[in-house]
Amino acid sequence: MTRKVLLRYSTQKATEPILASVIKETDVLPNILYAEVSTKGGEILLAIDAPDKEVDKAIELFKQEGIEAQEIKRAIQLDRDLCFDCGACLSLCPIGALYITDDKSVELDDNKCIYCGLCVPSCPVRALKLSKFW
Amino acid sequence: MTGTKVNKSVADINDRIRRGDAVVVTAEEMVEIVRNKGEVGAAKEVDVVTTGTFGAMCSSGAWLNFGHSDPPIKIQRAWLNDVEAYTGVAAVDAYIGATKLSETRGFDYGGAHVIEDLVRGKEIEVRAIAYGTDCYPRKELKTILTKDDINQAVLCNPRNAYQRYDAATNSRDETIYTYMGTLLPNYGNVTYSGSGSLSPLHNDPNYETIGIGTRIFLGGAQGYIFWEGTQHAPAKAMGTIMTIGNLKEMDARYIRGATIEKYGTTLYVGLGIPIPVINERVAKTTGVSDEEIKTDLTDYGVPRRDRPILREVTYAELKSGKVEIRGKEVPVSPLSSLKQAREIANTLKHWIEDKRFFLSQPVEGLSTDQVFKPLKQVTAVPFVRDIMTREVVTAKPSDPIASTAKIFADRGFDHLPIVDARGRLVGIVTSWDIAVAVGTGKKKLSEVLTSKVITALENEPVDAVARRLEKHKISGVPVVNSCGELRGILTSQDLSKLLGRRGR
Repeated sequence: MTRKVLLRYSTQKATEPILASVIKETDVLPNILYAEVSTKGGEILLAIDAPDKEVDKAIELFKQEGIEAQEIKRAIQLDRDLCFDCGACLSLCPIGALYITDDKSVELDDNKCIYCGLCVPSCPVRALKLSKFW
Repeated sequence: MTGTKVNKSVADINDRIRRGDAVVVTAEEMVEIVRNKGEVGAAKEVDVVTTGTFGAMCSSGAWLNFGHSDPPIKIQRAWLNDVEAYTGVAAVDAYIGATKLSETRGFDYGGAHVIEDLVRGKEIEVRAIAYGTDCYPRKELKTILTKDDINQAVLCNPRNAYQRYDAATNSRDETIYTYMGTLLPNYGNVTYSGSGSLSPLHNDPNYETIGIGTRIFLGGAQGYIFWEGTQHAPAKAMGTIMTIGNLKEMDARYIRGATIEKYGTTLYVGLGIPIPVINERVAKTTGVSDEEIKTDLTDYGVPRRDRPILREVTYAELKSGKVEIRGKEVPVSPLSSLKQAREIANTLKHWIEDKRFFLSQPVEGLSTDQVFKPLKQVTAVPFVRDIMTREVVTAKPSDPIASTAKIFADRGFDHLPIVDARGRLVGIVTSWDIAVAVGTGKKKLSEVLTSKVITALENEPVDAVARRLEKHKISGVPVVNSCGELRGILTSQDLSKLLGRRGR
């Protein structure tokens, strides 16, 4: 299973090649889903498809380097009370995390979601929300 | 009607409903019944077919009567939660339209949301102004109302329940935001609306049973069809209806205010029509399947009235979630809720089975040959070819910066199109690019030109290009023909000259 890890960089840490060194040390191949980092600090969201042990090791290494590393379970929320299953969001999802069930309900697969946020403004009743990470 | 093997009247069917032995099925269930038993068999067996749709219906609104204040006011302009309502009808009547935007919240809130809030019983702030008369001296009014405080709240929609609608896609290389939703670049997705085999008007496209006075499911209450809808075009399978119903009795589950991104607000309306199966002709039309309902896949990337049609698609293809465009599978978004359409058809079915809803015999039919005319325009729409500058100075990618800088200085223009030996546009250089090139010691135009050029076509309306300039924050575009050959240039100066002409 692909796990998602959010890294939060402080001002001091943003100038060090920490991500690269963790990759070198663990052999995991993280995919960057989202990044907003400058020398002032910031955050990077990684998707890591590797055995659980290795992902745990990577998270541990980030922590040792002084990075706030936190596993993210869910960032886009689909509010079922607001959603009326129009499906406007479906074709905007680049990886099919939003899908329609046999009874024509719109559902969101948290495991597939890459938090790109493309679906959010397309919802006519604002039932899709992107949680800010910071 | 004669010449049919089965002949039932609406009164016969209502008698059966009253006795509790009417057979009521939804339009989706009817597809199978007609397939298995044939039209005559289905007509004998089934009495009523229920339909449903739940989609964005921009042409919706509500009539409200506030009652008189003391001292009384003849309202000239009024706002409900900062959304202006039309009040040019007597003193205290107002029509709140679904697509009117809030003056303070923009796209996030509009007339449609006011209507939903009224249905939900929420408080609405009403502001009004007037010029004052001897009989209506008051000039200003501010109050808070709910639907229970006002005399009438009547949903009254000029155009609802399109029989079918064009499916939309986008040929441009940029995302566009339309009333058909967000359309991704280069045919990246398809959107469509309508419930296909559940579509109310597609189940009786000959208007044999649907007409003025037909009782319907409207927003969770019982409403009526009171005229053909505006833009009614039954000959093109694009029929529409005008509908009316008591907003106070409606359910917010079926009346939802909505925002279409970067387009505006609209009202999602739940609507269902019961079709009395009076003969086998009606049985046949209510047996229509998604495979049989076709619509045009249309390019919304072309901002013209008559948009190019790529091909025909069926509602079965659209509902499958994938449509093929030029050999590629493209994801599809429905914009109307099939789940709620089904729910509406089922609710209507249960109302009839529970003897809470009886069918009505229309007092007049609806037109079956009406056509939808385009607007008569008395001033010609200018096209790019009418106002573009044809004599354009051009340069080649291999030209030196130094001599080009001199051209800019001598001619006093800002855009220099770069063409290849065959006259095809390969890039553009602006006066700013030249300044940077001189400053950084570049030698040839090829080092500084922008090759991804925003262009215009000769046969495009000027308004479309003006919007493009505004969107990309640029002041001019080269004009090319379909082969990419340079034909001229259109700048904001050309556009201002046009505005001057319009003013005279």
